[in-house]
Amino acid sequence: MTESFHSSCIQGAKSVLSLARASLSHQLAGRGGSAHLGYPDTAYELPVAFGLTDLKVSTLADGEKVLDLAEGLLRNAPTLENALEAGAATLLAADVLGALSHKDGNPFSPPSVGFVPDSILRKLGIFMVDGTVPGVAVAIGRATDPAAAAAMVRQFQEIGLLVFLAGDVAQQMEKAGVKLGDDFKTFPLGPLPAVIHAVNFAVRAGLTFGGIGRGQTQAMYNYLSQRVKAFVCALGPMDEIGLAVIAGAMKAGFPVLADRNLPEIPGALLRSPAGEEMVRAGMEARGIKAKIVKVPIPIAFGPAYEGERIRKSDTYAEFGGGRGPAYELVVSAPLSEVRDKEIVVVGPDIPDMPKGGTLPLGIVVTVSGNRMQKDFESVLEQRIHRIVNYGEGTMHVAPRDTTWIRVSCEAQAKGFRLADLGMMLYAKMHADFENIVDRVSVTIHTREEDVQRGMAFAKTVYAERDARAKTLTDDTVEEFYSCTLCQSFAPNHVCIVAPERLGLCGAINWLDGKAGYEITPTGPNQPVMKGAVLDPVKGAWDGVNAFVREHSRNTVPGFNLYSIMDAPMTSCGCFECILALIPEANGVMAVNREFEGSETPCGMGFSTLAGSVGGGAQTPGFMGVGKHYLLSKRFLAAEGGLPRLVWMTKEMKEYLGADLAARAAEIGMPGLVDMIADETVAVTPEQLLLHLKKVGHPALSMPPLL
Amino acid sequence: MTVPLPKQAYPGRILPVTLPAGPGGTPVTVGGQNALSLAPEGEKPNAAAIGMEVRTGGGDLPPALAKAFECRATDPVSLAGACANDWGAQFLFLSLDGCHPDGGGQPVEEGARIVHEVLAAVSCPVIVGGCGEEETDAKLFPAVAESAGRPVFLSYADEKNYRLVGGAALAYGHGVVAWSPIDINMAKQANLLLSDLGVPPERILIDPLTGGLGYGLEYTYSIVERIRLAGLSGDAMLARPVLCHLGDAWKAREAVDASETSWGDAVLRGRRWEETTGWACLAAGADLLVFRHPGNVEAFREAAWR
Repeated sequence: MTESFHSSCIQGAKSVLSLARASLSHQLAGRGGSAHLGYPDTAYELPVAFGLTDLKVSTLADGEKVLDLAEGLLRNAPTLENALEAGAATLLAADVLGALSHKDGNPFSPPSVGFVPDSILRKLGIFMVDGTVPGVAVAIGRATDPAAAAAMVRQFQEIGLLVFLAGDVAQQMEKAGVKLGDDFKTFPLGPLPAVIHAVNFAVRAGLTFGGIGRGQTQAMYNYLSQRVKAFVCALGPMDEIGLAVIAGAMKAGFPVLADRNLPEIPGALLRSPAGEEMVRAGMEARGIKAKIVKVPIPIAFGPAYEGERIRKSDTYAEFGGGRGPAYELVVSAPLSEVRDKEIVVVGPDIPDMPKGGTLPLGIVVTVSGNRMQKDFESVLEQRIHRIVNYGEGTMHVAPRDTTWIRVSCEAQAKGFRLADLGMMLYAKMHADFENIVDRVSVTIHTREEDVQRGMAFAKTVYAERDARAKTLTDDTVEEFYSCTLCQSFAPNHVCIVAPERLGLCGAINWLDGKAGYEITPTGPNQPVMKGAVLDPVKGAWDGVNAFVREHSRNTVPGFNLYSIMDAPMTSCGCFECILALIPEANGVMAVNREFEGSETPCGMGFSTLAGSVGGGAQTPGFMGVGKHYLLSKRFLAAEGGLPRLVWMTKEMKEYLGADLAARAAEIGMPGLVDMIADETVAVTPEQLLLHLKKVGHPALSMPPLL
Repeated sequence: MTVPLPKQAYPGRILPVTLPAGPGGTPVTVGGQNALSLAPEGEKPNAAAIGMEVRTGGGDLPPALAKAFECRATDPVSLAGACANDWGAQFLFLSLDGCHPDGGGQPVEEGARIVHEVLAAVSCPVIVGGCGEEETDAKLFPAVAESAGRPVFLSYADEKNYRLVGGAALAYGHGVVAWSPIDINMAKQANLLLSDLGVPPERILIDPLTGGLGYGLEYTYSIVERIRLAGLSGDAMLARPVLCHLGDAWKAREAVDASETSWGDAVLRGRRWEETTGWACLAAGADLLVFRHPGNVEAFREAAWR
């Protein structure tokens, strides 16, 4: 079947070519070789020839050269490659045929428009570049079920696609009352061969908007396949000419969806029944996404409400937070397993609850996308916190299976239900992760047994993730990620985010950086290839240094990721805490941003210290870091690691708590945490030293820092 | 003993950009330098260009401008003619603020018509600015791009609307002013995004947002300087000419308030406020300056060191 398909494509191309030859010789006989050949109202001669060959076409004789070139592409062996070449020949020949038929203007009767002039191309092109017109649908052939095809075209119009119709489907749509013309961005072109005007439209888009010049064949093919988000809907049975057109579309990189029995070619020729299914398939084949303008929920939604707290007395419904089991989970799944916008609530809902009532809650967001990675699940999951807080009257605290959600009485009075919560998550996941997420579905469970079962599963996912995070080390990855978000106020500061050293703001870890890059490839998170190891202990790589040098505009020649004394990483101003050298103690202290006191062993409180550490400066002995860096195996590895920590605020000690103790035990110093002083023990170097000597802190016997 | 002056040599060079003129007019070329402004070293083939803003909207004029414009104030076409032909503006910045819903709400077609008329009335290069209201501008830029009979620059494209403005520029062969809110990262990103779209680099100008004297000028100064240093250090996306639009100087109370008599003559004060803002921008490295007061155009065009 595949072979016969290929050979039909080739036969079809020959038919188109001989049609063009016949028409050309007829005009040659009547008008002579020097007579004009071209379309009205275009700067691009015969656009297909202009874009795909280096032939200049202005006369009938030139047209012959195009046909000769097309003929040269034809091979008889029924292979896919030859079929695609036959497709290219079809496009060239059809463009000659099209131009010949436009000798006296549009040859077709209304509403068929024939060639679409440059003026309309420019007008519509802006909206294609802009994304207001998210793609192009080309329907060809004769629909078996005109009503279903009409519904499909109307759906294209709703999405805002530019629609071209060629073949009987054009009349069928007119008869079915589908609105046609400029205002509806729907152009009936004419009989089947007139589909070439959709192709020469796309080629001219590349010439006008893609900066592609005459005869840049490969660049043009790339533009057509990547930038012009067009797909072809082949309706009804196709004769050989129809198949040649399909081959031409595939050659141009436009996926073809056929409702008839054609051999499937992954990514290029797909089967799909005409109708909603075909719309979905076309959109997905081209990665076209319909934009959600406003989230349809009864409460206001936006960053303005992020900081809103809901007091107990204002709470209508409450989930989790120790009052019952609750969890949230984002998982990825193959495209075929996720139905986009499916929001399911299983179990009692907010209207079923009394004021102040509680319910178990299990939120599972399932996403899929060609660029989605399993590693990004946790990044998306962390976003749930912000999304829920965006609602006016919804509050979210704590992640994973510690989650706690409150819905206010006001929100309940406006009719807010759990499906709306699902809609918030659905819409925002799409908006925030546009580049990596193609489909999102949300399932919310509120029955105790369902939630318990789901939670057991979620816990296995969390455990897997944690295990994965442990295997992610600076040695096992090829690239780190930069963060230059702070360059607006610390112009020469570059954060290098590594698996074992998170951003100093504490907000961006290596996975966030990776996801950030996928989401905004031009944004502040860029991959940094590590390059050759310069110093494995201090954490120096030549790739990192080169990146830092370039992006600090030659002010910072490079740095050591794991050292505070020798060329430490620069600090912007967002650090969660500051590490500062205490020379007397042969160690470092850590003070967090929230610490309000001004008395620390180095003589300065957080804000005074911050003034001298920040701004992108490289200050040996002082460094801003994220709190969790203290738990890293690479924490000050150059200076001996955690045993260098001689003082930290009580608040930080409590915050890191068990994790810090575990880390101390891991390095064989289970008593270390208790030896580290805090503000209740010492606020001067003298007091600190006394304490360290008393408890026998290991820093005192380590090699001198200075 | 003589101490040699240290000379800084930069690896980069600012891309020259030409603002095309109409028939008989003089195009404006800026950029092309490989050193900071005011520094003695390097090549500076093009002096900073001095332009004037013409607004289409009504609204009260500051005393200084009311006096200078006289009866032309309400007629953008005649004001444009005076700017270009009498007052020495090398280019015009035509702001279609009259299309803003709060600024008169002229229909988009009216805005496009004014652009067409101004382009017919003057032969110098023209930058056309939107009204600043997102929805209106989304219609305005395509309309202007289509009706402008010759290439202009469209102002401005930012992170949100760059596709629309970039698309309009590509469709009809115009240039784009890439705007960012005093943020070097976003300035770079705007240029990256426009480049990704296919807008040729020699058709892009950077507008880093200019705060008026006393109202953020120091931030602008620092950003312009840093954009320039980055460009000269080899960052191609920032090695582009910078446009400083001094319109914000006229938002300062000190520049417009005539009721504070102890501050001196409001007419002189307004002009000076804009002038001082302009000098700072020029020193920071601006390649194009947009004034509203005719007297300042004269002052700057005659400045020997620009």
